Amino acid sequence: MKLEDIISYGMSKGARFVDVFQEETRKSSVGFRDSKVESASASIDFGYGIRMLFGKKVLYVETNHEEESKIKSLMNELISAHGVDVSTDFPKMNLNRSHIQNQHPCVKLPSDLGQSIKLQWLKNVDKIAREVSPNITQVSVSAYDETSNVNIVNSEGLSVSDTRTRTRFLVSTVASKKNNIFTGSESPGSLQGYEFFDSLDYESLTKKAANRALLMLDAGYIKGGVQPVIMGNGFGGVIFHEACGHPLETEAIRKKSSPFVGKLNKKIAADCLTAIDDGTIKNSWGSINIDDEGMPTEKTVLIENGILKNYLSDKIGAEEVGVKRTGSARRESFRYAPVSRMRNTYIAAGKDEFDAMIKSVDDGLYAKVMGGGSVNPATGEFNFSVQEGYRIHKGEIKEPVRGATLIGKGHEIIQNISMVGSDLKLAAGMCGASSGAVPTTVGQPTIKVDAIQVGGDS
Amino acid sequence: MNTTDVAQYLNEQLKKKADAYDFSIVESDSTDLEIFESEIKKSEISSSYAVGIRLFKNGKPGYSSAKRFTLESLDIMINDALSHADLTDKVEIELPSSLNESKLDLQAYNPELENVTMNEMKDFCLVIEEKVKSGNKIENIPYLGMGKSSGTKHFYNSKGVHYNNRSNSISAYVGASAQDGDVKKMGVYSNGSRSLNKLDHQLFSNKVIERAEELLEAKPIPSGEYPVVFSNRVSGSLISMFGSIFSADMVQKGQSKLKGKLNQKIASEKLSILCNPLLVGEPGSRLYDGEGINCKETPIITDGKLINVIHNLETAKKDNVVASGHGVRGLNSRAGVSFSNLIVEKGEQALNSMLNSVNQCLYIVKLDGSSACSAISGEISIGVQGFLIENGERVQAVDRVILNSNIFDLFNKIQCFSNEYSDAFSSIKVPDMLVDKISLSS
Repeated sequence: MKLEDIISYGMSKGARFVDVFQEETRKSSVGFRDSKVESASASIDFGYGIRMLFGKKVLYVETNHEEESKIKSLMNELISAHGVDVSTDFPKMNLNRSHIQNQHPCVKLPSDLGQSIKLQWLKNVDKIAREVSPNITQVSVSAYDETSNVNIVNSEGLSVSDTRTRTRFLVSTVASKKNNIFTGSESPGSLQGYEFFDSLDYESLTKKAANRALLMLDAGYIKGGVQPVIMGNGFGGVIFHEACGHPLETEAIRKKSSPFVGKLNKKIAADCLTAIDDGTIKNSWGSINIDDEGMPTEKTVLIENGILKNYLSDKIGAEEVGVKRTGSARRESFRYAPVSRMRNTYIAAGKDEFDAMIKSVDDGLYAKVMGGGSVNPATGEFNFSVQEGYRIHKGEIKEPVRGATLIGKGHEIIQNISMVGSDLKLAAGMCGASSGAVPTTVGQPTIKVDAIQVGGDS
Repeated sequence: MNTTDVAQYLNEQLKKKADAYDFSIVESDSTDLEIFESEIKKSEISSSYAVGIRLFKNGKPGYSSAKRFTLESLDIMINDALSHADLTDKVEIELPSSLNESKLDLQAYNPELENVTMNEMKDFCLVIEEKVKSGNKIENIPYLGMGKSSGTKHFYNSKGVHYNNRSNSISAYVGASAQDGDVKKMGVYSNGSRSLNKLDHQLFSNKVIERAEELLEAKPIPSGEYPVVFSNRVSGSLISMFGSIFSADMVQKGQSKLKGKLNQKIASEKLSILCNPLLVGEPGSRLYDGEGINCKETPIITDGKLINVIHNLETAKKDNVVASGHGVRGLNSRAGVSFSNLIVEKGEQALNSMLNSVNQCLYIVKLDGSSACSAISGEISIGVQGFLIENGERVQAVDRVILNSNIFDLFNKIQCFSNEYSDAFSSIKVPDMLVDKISLSS
């Protein structure tokens, strides 16, 4: 069924707005574990996401059926369930085809190179990891790529297409000694083709992952309690992402489920904090050319010197909250209606030196590498694990510690940031929310938070 | 092409091109809605299909899947899988050549559910919303919705094994926030069933109000070692985080500490875990696994002793045992292993009697996240909320406390289980669990 005919059909049923997201995605990956090629797989995903707005109601159909009669029947079933019984003649849509400039060049297309080329990288990494120490007892490595071709049309005449190729490399090592087993992993990713794999420093990445697992084998527990924490750069930004980024999405604001409701242009954080969500960073994992409503993306300042400047918004969020759209509508695939989501979110670089931050702490934690975590957007309560941590005593980094967990409330923590370093770094991750799992980048320079509750030994 | 055409085409092509194969075709339909401030904010209908193949060439597997049923897509899928079989290493498995057709009706599909309308689901949610608003301290209900789904899976392999599996369910969820001064807490309750009549809106509203309001006055308790009771609200979540330690795949690859522990005591004698795939009406039940093997009840831990780990075809061959019917396979991934219904056997005491049995304990009703819990290391570091109990009485609501332990230490410190599972429509059933002293930091 032609996309413009789907639009016309939805409008003829009385919708005030209709858009269609058509997608074909090819994914491929090779997995290597136990020094063997354990799996090689590929998939073809295809389908339509059809969104119809009736007043403030969103009606969404997702299907990979291609027959016109089936698509219309699904649309009708949903429309009639809402008691809408309108059928008017709606003129055939005249779409204004727009061409977008690809800001994220992809040189080596996965479709041209196939999967076999990945084997050399995987085998090499397995060898490097096992040579680090005989205590490295298991290595899992995988190389993944996906290419999505999307067409987005809407009843305002928009018609735009985009091709998105992403590549990601994952290495996970297991270190064992006596009855202890620990893991360490690295997982960089990019919005580009196989040239990303060419650019990776496999030796450094692999050794980092292996040494982290080995370090934890002999680590003790930190004494729990409220204490100052120096959070490492890069993936440390996951705390801002979860505890502040999600509550700044209009998806949370419109449901009044965020501590930041009504706080635009008010002071919500320490003066030293400026935070940005930028979809335009060249080839970055979380970047996009256009969002999933077809709007060119942008760089959005969220917090500037402690003042809340913007929310992240999609079409519906912008309408309901009364703010401008920021090109932040995202979804995992056609299976999800788009909502406001983050892209590359980071705390901007400051001027503090790393050594000065460490020296400023009498007793505390250096959370060099953060693990994952989660947040309740309504209350701001978060929890995060520390993948690699060290005790700080009298201004010096001391022994490694394991089992450290950080808990707190996002809107309180950002008021307790007292130092911001200059060593900004970004790290790739996947973010899960109501429109599925989307690639996002988190980031920050090293920062000092004066007080966070750290879980450890009692 | 319909599913029959697809199956026929794949069987024809794969017989010519592969040494052995299996594939699954899945069809799924769902209807969902979300309510906010008494209005439907979003409603959704989904209808889709997909096919995934695993083929073997010279003993080497290749995987691929397609969500487009055209000859072109199916041919690309087959060629992808064949090219992948050139890349992978050999796997020692033999696909099953027969299936014992079971007469057992697991009641996984209720045709009446197809007749539940969106209006009925909306009305159900609106009643919940109205009742929840009556909570004294409820200030917002940001999450409220309902959905029903149905799916059919058609499994085929190169040795003629074929089965169809059909299931459906309906579920609802509600999340409400309560506020007292500057303190805000969120309560969440969700549940499912195979019949709308079995979902009770009064229960949804009572539970969510209770959960949102009960911890508003919570504060930390001093760090130390405390006996802990995990409520049956959270005990299943805790155990499920570590379910993969019983996977033969993880054991064989050195990613579970249970390597070499078969027939050894690994837990308190109060702990018995079994996997029962044949429970009628339960969400995890299945007659056949993802590789076409008959499922059967499997004891995992009996009175603290490790009796079995769970196997698929590949791991069973490696350990020279019979596959236990725990194979699962995503459409384009290698076969893994998974529990169907993970059941921890009940004890004899009621919860209150259990809480009375210790002078002081922390009764945990909420776990905050799981990212610092690792099935590989066994480490547990997790935020917990609940109540300090003294002589059976709640004396203080508790939050901002982090529990630190190791799953194997925790297994050994289990004192007893209650005689009650939670009411959740879940494939994991664990009663309230009393554990001896565990480190809590605040």
